[in-house]
Amino acid sequence: MESLLSALQEKAQADLAAIRTRPELEAAKARLVGPNGELTALMKQMGSVPKEQRPALGKRINEAKALVQALLDAALQRVVDGEIAAQVGPAIDVSLPSPDAGPGTFHPLTQVREEMCRILRKVGFTVADGPEVETEYYCFDALNTPADHPARDAQDTFYLPRDAAFANVSKHRADERYLLRTHTSSVQIRTLLKGPPPIRIVSPGRVYRRDTTDATHSANFHQLECLYVDRNVTVRDLKALLDYIFTSLLGKDTKTRFRPHYFGYTEPSFEVDLSARHLPKVNKEWIEIGGCGMVDPIVLDGVGHDSRVWSGYAFGMGLERLAMLLYGIDDIRYFYQNDLRFLRQFA
Amino acid sequence: MKVSRNWLQSYVNLAGRSSDEISRAITFLGFEVESVHTTGAPALSSVFVGEVLTRDRHPNADKLSVCTVDVGPAHGVKTIVCGAQNYKVGDRVPVALPGAVLPGDFVIKQSKIRGHASDGMMCSGRELGVGEDHSGLLVLSDRPELGRPINEVLPAGDVVFDIEITPNRPDCLSHLGIARELAAWFREPLRYPSVPDEGALFAGAPARPDLLGSVRVDAAEDCPLYQATIITGVRVGPSPAWLQERLTAVGLRPINNVVDVGNFVMLEYGQPLHAFDARKLGGAEIVVRRAAAGESLVTLDTKERALSAETLVIADQQRPVVIAGIMGGSNSGVDESTTDLVLEAAYFRRQGIRATSRRLGLASDSSYRYERGVDPHSLAEASRRAVALILETAGGKVAGPAYRVGGDKPWLREIVVTPAYINERLGFTIPSSDMRSALESLELRIVREDRAEDGGERWTVRVPSWRDDLDRPIDLVEEVLRIFGTERIPATTVTGPGLAEDDDPVVEYQRRALRFLVGQDCHECVNYTLRSATEVAGTASESLAPRLALANPFVEDQSHLRPTLIDGLVETLRLNRARGVSVTRLAEAGRVFRERDGQLLECVAVSFVLAEDPDSRTWLRRSAPDFYAARHLIEAVASFAGLDLARQIRPVAEGDRSWQSGHAASAGDLAHGWSASFGLLNVASLKTRDVTGRVYAGEFVILPANLAAPATRSRYRPFALFPAALRDVALVVEETVPAADVRKAMTKAARAAVGTAFALESMEIFDVYRGEGLPAGHKSLAFSLVFRAEDRTLTDEEVNRVFTAVQDALVSGHGYTLRK
Repeated sequence: MESLLSALQEKAQADLAAIRTRPELEAAKARLVGPNGELTALMKQMGSVPKEQRPALGKRINEAKALVQALLDAALQRVVDGEIAAQVGPAIDVSLPSPDAGPGTFHPLTQVREEMCRILRKVGFTVADGPEVETEYYCFDALNTPADHPARDAQDTFYLPRDAAFANVSKHRADERYLLRTHTSSVQIRTLLKGPPPIRIVSPGRVYRRDTTDATHSANFHQLECLYVDRNVTVRDLKALLDYIFTSLLGKDTKTRFRPHYFGYTEPSFEVDLSARHLPKVNKEWIEIGGCGMVDPIVLDGVGHDSRVWSGYAFGMGLERLAMLLYGIDDIRYFYQNDLRFLRQFA
Repeated sequence: MKVSRNWLQSYVNLAGRSSDEISRAITFLGFEVESVHTTGAPALSSVFVGEVLTRDRHPNADKLSVCTVDVGPAHGVKTIVCGAQNYKVGDRVPVALPGAVLPGDFVIKQSKIRGHASDGMMCSGRELGVGEDHSGLLVLSDRPELGRPINEVLPAGDVVFDIEITPNRPDCLSHLGIARELAAWFREPLRYPSVPDEGALFAGAPARPDLLGSVRVDAAEDCPLYQATIITGVRVGPSPAWLQERLTAVGLRPINNVVDVGNFVMLEYGQPLHAFDARKLGGAEIVVRRAAAGESLVTLDTKERALSAETLVIADQQRPVVIAGIMGGSNSGVDESTTDLVLEAAYFRRQGIRATSRRLGLASDSSYRYERGVDPHSLAEASRRAVALILETAGGKVAGPAYRVGGDKPWLREIVVTPAYINERLGFTIPSSDMRSALESLELRIVREDRAEDGGERWTVRVPSWRDDLDRPIDLVEEVLRIFGTERIPATTVTGPGLAEDDDPVVEYQRRALRFLVGQDCHECVNYTLRSATEVAGTASESLAPRLALANPFVEDQSHLRPTLIDGLVETLRLNRARGVSVTRLAEAGRVFRERDGQLLECVAVSFVLAEDPDSRTWLRRSAPDFYAARHLIEAVASFAGLDLARQIRPVAEGDRSWQSGHAASAGDLAHGWSASFGLLNVASLKTRDVTGRVYAGEFVILPANLAAPATRSRYRPFALFPAALRDVALVVEETVPAADVRKAMTKAARAAVGTAFALESMEIFDVYRGEGLPAGHKSLAFSLVFRAEDRTLTDEEVNRVFTAVQDALVSGHGYTLRK
């Protein structure tokens, strides 16, 4: 009996070690421990063994059974491992690059715009939008730009033919001409006409000037304007906004200053300079960054908000100019060429 | 405008103020300083007049000389090594002695040059900072006294500020105007030039109607005020040095004393003036009128100008002699032979001058000032100033009569303001005494003081005639703040309640769509809105293309509004490939312009292109993009606007120029506010634009107003946890039958068969087959149907019953064949 068991163990050891597939394993399992298996047959012989030998033999058979089971478990593990290995294939070279192009990128102008909108949102400004095709009223008249002002001239502003008709750009007067807006201030007028203050909007968008394209000029570019109209809005509030915007954008040691200036739709009006460390390619202490002022009473009264009750401020700047300052870009045309070597730098 | 520091000094004391300080003042008064230019000699110490006594060749250098130079009794004779060649023994030259500091922080020391001691340096003009000449020593003319400090010999220096004057401040297109601002800033008094009054000027003047018998203004609308003064017996010649110096400092060429005085007073007061040779005025008459058709005039720049009925001219009895306010004619100008002259001081309306200047393409210092607006109430004073200066520099006598045609209403403008209002608008407090001095320093006189309703101070402020830009209390807020200093606005924090508003839906939509596309590995692009006529004609319909044209394009390739973003993206593709940059996925969001019922529409568009990269050389090949990749993206982009494209997709028409028919589709219609196109871009059209290979694209266009609908909140629907029953069916249909039709029929049949007993949970097309075993011109579409009940496990019988009914309905109702 003992010799039979030993032989069985040895054979099982040798057979199971060679097993690689599930059918082989199933067959081996049946051969050993199945109802007609060899080990089962030996166990069945227990009854014919003298009684006093039974405990020792029982122990011995259990040992053999445990050993065979362990061998089967190990074989199963090898089969499963083998199956997975076949499924996943040989090891790959993880140092090879992905062939997929990407990742996608947002245009730097979008990134700068969104960063400004996030900064402004924190102090209650929401984004307003308006048409790029505008009329003389929204772009000029309502903003206190006299009819003979040079900015309105066909030399500086793109106009559409007199007979152009837009189904979804409303005119204020029937005889107005359509034009391409020269600033996003037209959005301020459309917003002011929608309802009473308080109003606190930021209007980023595309604007057009009839200008030679060169390193700093482009036929279309982007502006971002803020408008706040409420009771008792003051010059000091305006300065506080500018300080807030640029310290948020460029760090605590950033300073802004106002220089008196002239714009038709604000009074008083200022140009805004900023001074910041670590701006690339800037070698002046102060850089002009935008224009601002207190909304002229004429503008407020013109859109039906009593300037004795309401006051407000407006601030505007060029997004390309800001992006050029932030990133150290020296040619505005790069924004419009979309060379991927450019776009990927701002991911 | 160029402003000379020396000239300003005549009106305001700037002694001891550095150029930087003055620049800063001008800047914070509200004018941009474009450049600061120093002329003449800077202050130089230890530089004296010396005379070359001997000149010998340097023993060790051919090009150098060793000179002895007499620098006067105080300094004695020095030995100086010099490299210049342009001087001779006996010349007097500037000598910088050890200790002198020349411009550029060049310190002069005792030194050895090529082994020979040198006790200083003889200087060129450039070394002294008095000019650009560096060809040799500055040899001094007139043999100035030896040892004199060089600044006593060289012309005094000046600083010229080039200032940009904002359009609201024409009064500052003059030295007096800028001086007034600086006087206010530095709290210095303003000194006006002394000008004789009219009585003194005309006292004892003889009447000379033979020189000028009448002045008539036929166009009073364009010329509300015209003044002419006769001066006889002048001697035209070069201006005195001081006058020449003033004009050259600001870039004007001196011509003769009469013309120079005119220019000087224009730059002093801002009032343009014009002098005629009285003897050249035909008929001794001046007429201010519109030109007649066919008239022309040769202007002082010797060009012949054709005049029109809109052109305002000054004429004599026969012919125009001046284009009013812009430029004089060569037929009546003052020259060396002039003895009697007429000095014109006039006020012309700005609009007329501007229109004529533009029409003729002719601008001058005079027209520039008239266009910006001159002060008619300062005109008489400027005129008297000029007359007095002509008498002083050219001699002569004033003759009568004094002509003054038109006349203005007297100027009186007052603004009532309270210091409280100013502080309220500013948001901080400026003491009223500071406000008062700020206003007074700008000659804004407080002429009346009383109490406002709240008991606070109230001022009536009189505005001077040259400040036409001030007429409301808010305007005075700016004046006070300018003089107080915008740099002193105190800091504070941003306050203000939240407004509980959302960002505009258009902005939100574009953000969401772009975020998705960038997440799909697209690079966001920004292209120009204005496109070429050719490009637009290649994409837009024949009716739309011409309507997109601008009335006044600036350059040919940017003449039309874009009807699509895809052309820009294709251009981006081309440019990158041409530069050898691999590019496959691009996206853009922006405005495009379309039409509906004969009217244009401004629309929001979101577009993308998916290109295979023909030059791609990656170690692992990916499958190329296809129609269904584009469809996936466009459906997502439309879904962000709350739209389900699937039901509306139709193939593009045969012959479409933008899209490849048979491989592209569209959905929606702008008549309903939106439309979408997607699929393969027309391969032939792309080729003409130098883009090869297959490019898939998609464009979703929607009216901004259609994005305004508020989002509806989703409602939870319970979903069954019992097992589903699956059935597959394959249908053989004609090749031309769209899958969507079969699917629709199947859905209908399944719904009818299921009724309310349970549900057809989903249905997917899992195989499309053509070829062996099917009749020619047919395809097989295999559908997988999933049935499920909410409340139980479905039995085979009930599912089979429904499934059989569905198959029967498809075969009998639609003529499809079941594929076994």
